[in-house]
Amino acid sequence: MTTKSCISIFTRRLAISLLLLAVSSAVSAQMKFFSIQKDSIPLFRGFAVSFDLVGAGMLTFSDYGQYEAALRVNLHDEWFPIVEAGLGKASHDDEVTRLYYSTSAPYFKIGIDRNMLKDKHGANRLYLGLRYGFTSYKVDISRPNLTDPVWQWDTGFGVKDAACKYHWAEVVVGIDAKILGPLHLGWSVRYKQRLAHSEDGDFGNVWYVPGFGTYDSNLGATFNVIIDI
Amino acid sequence: MKRWLVLPVVALMVSCSTIDCPVNSLVQTKYQFLDSAGEELTLLDTLTVVTTRKDGKDTLIYKSDSIIYNKGVGVSTFSLPVSYTHPEDVLVFRFKGDGWHTADTVWIKKEDRPHFESVDCNPIFFHNLTAVKCTNNLLDSIVINNSSVTNDDQVVHFYIYPKTGD
Repeated sequence: MTTKSCISIFTRRLAISLLLLAVSSAVSAQMKFFSIQKDSIPLFRGFAVSFDLVGAGMLTFSDYGQYEAALRVNLHDEWFPIVEAGLGKASHDDEVTRLYYSTSAPYFKIGIDRNMLKDKHGANRLYLGLRYGFTSYKVDISRPNLTDPVWQWDTGFGVKDAACKYHWAEVVVGIDAKILGPLHLGWSVRYKQRLAHSEDGDFGNVWYVPGFGTYDSNLGATFNVIIDI
Repeated sequence: MKRWLVLPVVALMVSCSTIDCPVNSLVQTKYQFLDSAGEELTLLDTLTVVTTRKDGKDTLIYKSDSIIYNKGVGVSTFSLPVSYTHPEDVLVFRFKGDGWHTADTVWIKKEDRPHFESVDCNPIFFHNLTAVKCTNNLLDSIVINNSSVTNDDQVVHFYIYPKTGD
């Protein structure tokens, strides 16, 4: 065996050893991430209901928004499976383009949060989570008295009761601070990504999607009033 | 942790939105002259295209917003607007050379569909071309190459074949 081939075998073995070490570290870290701390606290810690004030405020003070509530299960103060449901609405009459857009439909999200704080059983929590969202809705889009610029005929622009479906995913970061007794306040910031959508009539895009928000913004936020039950 | 509760208020104050309308909002049909061998042909005569408005008048008015295509010389491709929702557009192609002139009428049948981008963008109509026919003074025929008319200005929708020898 030559010196060169010995070096080659040594290098290969070293590379394989380092790779195995890296993989085992990653698997170990992942297992740790998905594990539940072992202590005397029981697994099931109760439920919490929450209501979002940002969406309700937007609906009150602007042309679109949503009423949203959530039910969260507390597993050992570490994992929080969650179901969110709401009613999204838009009724926008644009002053410049004179386009009217309206929709109103329920939406649903399901997902899970993890408490990222070291002190899992403390009064406050820092969440990292994922959601899958879905809505089936109808939109009306209209613009009356649209005049053809060349032929001068008056025509209407309208899409009526066009049925649409929208699927999306969200990455959620949020906090939850205990205020008094069962009352908590918290907020979340969400990055949203459309997964799939369909619309009847091939009319192009949609503007506001119930639960997702406006199509041109991938960011969202909630401010929650949370009550432990 | 409670101090962090005020963070979203700051975030809301610095948030902004953008208006994202398509760069090209014109929906037009593109025509290309071809010879009988299928090669691009440059028309050396003067071409004017007119249509009739709602009030019965021709649109040949010397203003850029009302002339749909005026006196193009040496053209091989050109674009014309499409009516928003009329089921059939009637266009008159006027050709003028040295000491002669002639005209052909073109009938274009289509289906229209509203296209929505955003409430911030002006509404437009897309079309599906279903049939085309013409008279045969200078033109031999017009055929549909691509039936989908959108705001994509690179697509050639019609091939125009002039009569051989003209």
